[in-house]
Amino acid sequence: MRTIIQGLVGGVIAFIIGAALLGIVRLAFGLSFWGGEASLVAGWLAFVIGWLLGVGVWEYWVREWFNLPVKKFEATGTSRYFTFCTDHKVVGIQYLVTFLGLFLLAGLLAMVMRAELMAPGRNYMSGATYNNVMSLHGTIMVFVGVAATVGAFGNYILPIMIGAEDMAFPRLNALSFWFVPPVAILLLASVFSNGYDTGWTGYATLASSTREGVIFYNLAFFTVGFSSILGAVNILTTVIALRAKGMYWGRLPIFVWASLGTAILSLIFTQFIALAMIMSLLDRVAGFSFFDAFAGGDPLLYQNVFWFYSHPAVYVMILPGLGIALEIISVFSRKPLFAYKWAVFGMMGVVVLSALVWAHHMFTSGMDSPLRIPFMITTELISVPTGLVFLTALGTMWGGKLILKTPMLFALAVIFNFLIGGITGIFLSDVPVDIQLQDTFFVVAHFHYTIVGGGIFALFAGIYYWYPKMTGRMYNERQGKIQFWWMFIGFNLTFIPMFWAGLNGMNRRIADYVPDLGNINFFTSMSAFFLGIGFLLFVYNMAVSLKKGEVAADNPWGGYTLEWQTSSPPPLENFDTPPEVVGDPYGYGEPDAKHVIFPAPAATD
Amino acid sequence: MKKDLIIAVILWFVFTAVGEYWAFNANMFPIAAAEEAVFLDDAFRLLIILAMPVFTLVLTFLFFSILRYRSKGDPDSDGPPMRTNTPLAAGWLAITTGLAIFVVINPGLKGMAELSANPNADLVIQVTGEQWHWDVSYPQYDLTYQRATQIALPADARVKFELTSTDVIHSLWIPAFRLKMDAVPGRDTSFYVTPTEIVDTEMDSNVRVQCAELCGTGHARMQMAVRIMEPDEFEAWVAEAKAMTMSGDMEGMDMGSSSDSMDGMDNMDSESDNMDGMDSGDGDMDMDTDSGMDMDSGDSDMDMDSGSDDMNMNSDSDG
Ligand SMILES: [Cu+2]
Ligand SMILES: [Cu+2]
Repeated sequence: MRTIIQGLVGGVIAFIIGAALLGIVRLAFGLSFWGGEASLVAGWLAFVIGWLLGVGVWEYWVREWFNLPVKKFEATGTSRYFTFCTDHKVVGIQYLVTFLGLFLLAGLLAMVMRAELMAPGRNYMSGATYNNVMSLHGTIMVFVGVAATVGAFGNYILPIMIGAEDMAFPRLNALSFWFVPPVAILLLASVFSNGYDTGWTGYATLASSTREGVIFYNLAFFTVGFSSILGAVNILTTVIALRAKGMYWGRLPIFVWASLGTAILSLIFTQFIALAMIMSLLDRVAGFSFFDAFAGGDPLLYQNVFWFYSHPAVYVMILPGLGIALEIISVFSRKPLFAYKWAVFGMMGVVVLSALVWAHHMFTSGMDSPLRIPFMITTELISVPTGLVFLTALGTMWGGKLILKTPMLFALAVIFNFLIGGITGIFLSDVPVDIQLQDTFFVVAHFHYTIVGGGIFALFAGIYYWYPKMTGRMYNERQGKIQFWWMFIGFNLTFIPMFWAGLNGMNRRIADYVPDLGNINFFTSMSAFFLGIGFLLFVYNMAVSLKKGEVAADNPWGGYTLEWQTSSPPPLENFDTPPEVVGDPYGYGEPDAKHVIFPAPAATD
Repeated sequence: MKKDLIIAVILWFVFTAVGEYWAFNANMFPIAAAEEAVFLDDAFRLLIILAMPVFTLVLTFLFFSILRYRSKGDPDSDGPPMRTNTPLAAGWLAITTGLAIFVVINPGLKGMAELSANPNADLVIQVTGEQWHWDVSYPQYDLTYQRATQIALPADARVKFELTSTDVIHSLWIPAFRLKMDAVPGRDTSFYVTPTEIVDTEMDSNVRVQCAELCGTGHARMQMAVRIMEPDEFEAWVAEAKAMTMSGDMEGMDMGSSSDSMDGMDNMDSESDNMDGMDSGDGDMDMDTDSGMDMDSGDSDMDMDSGSDDMNMNSDSDG
């Protein structure tokens, strides 16, 4: 708590200073002291700096630079999670819990949307309110998708998997998490300024003419980008530099490869979303005209810059999830990961190709018509490396001894859902077919199948899989299975009808629709409410098991990867003796297969 | 395991056959009111046909493995240590690449070529999007409608839509044509369509113009009715419309000025007008083509006719 209060105090003071400095400059130019949106932006940028100084930068960095005594504020037990803590396991939990909270909030907003869409006509809210709810839902979900899985498990599990004691830059790691709370505050604060109605895409020129709430969106996306980039630097460095002895590249668990691909994408592309947000803000508050067609700008420029990040972001959301699913499928099929190198090749292929597909979001935007062809080609081709992941999943299961516990069920659902998401993606990347489907509920269904059906289901798979490792207790298996079936059925009943609705004249982001679509939307809404309840079952299971769950063994699933070769939960530096890797982590069924040994420390020899 | 493989492959064939039967025969599309709609539906169907074997392959092996290899309780030994199968992986890669290239060519490139095959338009219609209504003009006939409530089209004529916007990006979508194109400020975009069916919005709500790019508060209701007529009927409609213009019915010509008072920003924005929810008027997007059809009479009397701002599509969309 102390950390948060320090952060808030620092942030508020900085906000005042920032806004005042701008005010003084404004006065010098003969403008009013308070510049509305411009002052808010200046104040916010200062707020973030003040907040970060307050939560830990002052104590951990600045004092050190000035040779002041560094009194680290050490907390223990649960209160660690509320501090600027450099233990990667704490940071992982901080990410996980924060983003689950945001995910629940986004889910609640989805329920509000489905309530409005239950029947044609205006039921509970105005078009403006609906657009606000829809925009906030989309933005939060994108943040959750980008950061939840890799933030939680990339931080908690990945260093243990490669036999490291911590991340390469522990302080930077804590810092990347502490960028997140102000973003959450900012998004929620947008509500008090009438919200914003641009969707999560914030397209020009709607963004420059709509309500002022849109600057909260711009600033939030801009700020969360820092978190992504810092996190990516950390994961990359950790994987490159901190692998245990003998952990050659060919022995890396597939989840580590997936996180590596994710980190590469985040590191390269996040700056483009920051750029899109900055240009949008400058258009709005400083009178630039990057995107204003009537002042020499081009609205399509925004879309190009935006999607240059936001398509790779889709793979940031899904790659770690695919890694988790494959990890689980191998352990719960009791078989080596099939065609491991092909899967790695596939993931890296996705990373490369994802840089070349952004304009497939613009097939009906009025972009140069023949220019659509290369993007159609690259987009269709990206299904090829993705397909290798399916080959690996199916080959791993074939002839295995499948243990259908909750993590496995979720992992298999990832394959099922992502198949539907992937195949419908082929429709959307085909230019002629996309002309009809673009901006309809077909697209809504498609990306929910990939990002929720793939990414979020994998997040759940990972939570169940590593719950014993992270908490030292088992979750309730029966409740877990019930929740799985509940969510799986609810999810498919919610999103399958949306494909049909999209094909039949339901465009996206609308508060109201033609009466002919009433029945299908009523059904969708009911399914969505059902799905929503499923998350409450999950929260219940997790919360109760934390105290009452059976005490977990070190290796309840019989996994070979390194995180299972240490205690549950792991000690501060992860291993009592440094591990030495002697084989790959998938030697199930191979006699004498060994992934790791713990050589006795030399001193005792 | 060899036996398992044979069973799974047979199952795959069976499911694929069933799936393909459905793909070839299912009636999955809404009304198709243009030539383009028919071949774009064929393109969609072709993709389903091509995707079906892939879809059933993954599902068959997924569910076969789940049912065949599930172990009751914890197994006492591990599965066979199959590592990889290079010919299989290489074959998989080759087949998926082949499929991807195939769909790029057909329906991808083939469909694009078909859509732009004939750039000679019989009729040009200019549509300008503006929050939250459309202005429509027929430059060949000197007809202009601001805040238009409908678009009249002749059947079997090549129609070119020329689009632009004065404020934010909109998108003109006619679901029954399967076509949409964004209306972008500062840019001229266009598409061609050849309507074929004599239908209108009242007969099928998919025969409508719908704004498909999020453009703010009134986005959902930024619609117009569409009416496709026999060519001679269209001629008559044009003649009548021009007569109205000649007679100096400027009110009729400029629906904008007369309906400014109806301008519904406040209507859309205000929370109070819709708390009664289900009240049909406010709430529904019924497109009354009776009043909407009569484009050139879009002055106050049309609004009077519909009693309130709700029955009329145009005022609905801005209001
Ligand atoms: Cu994309
Ligand atoms: Cu619009």
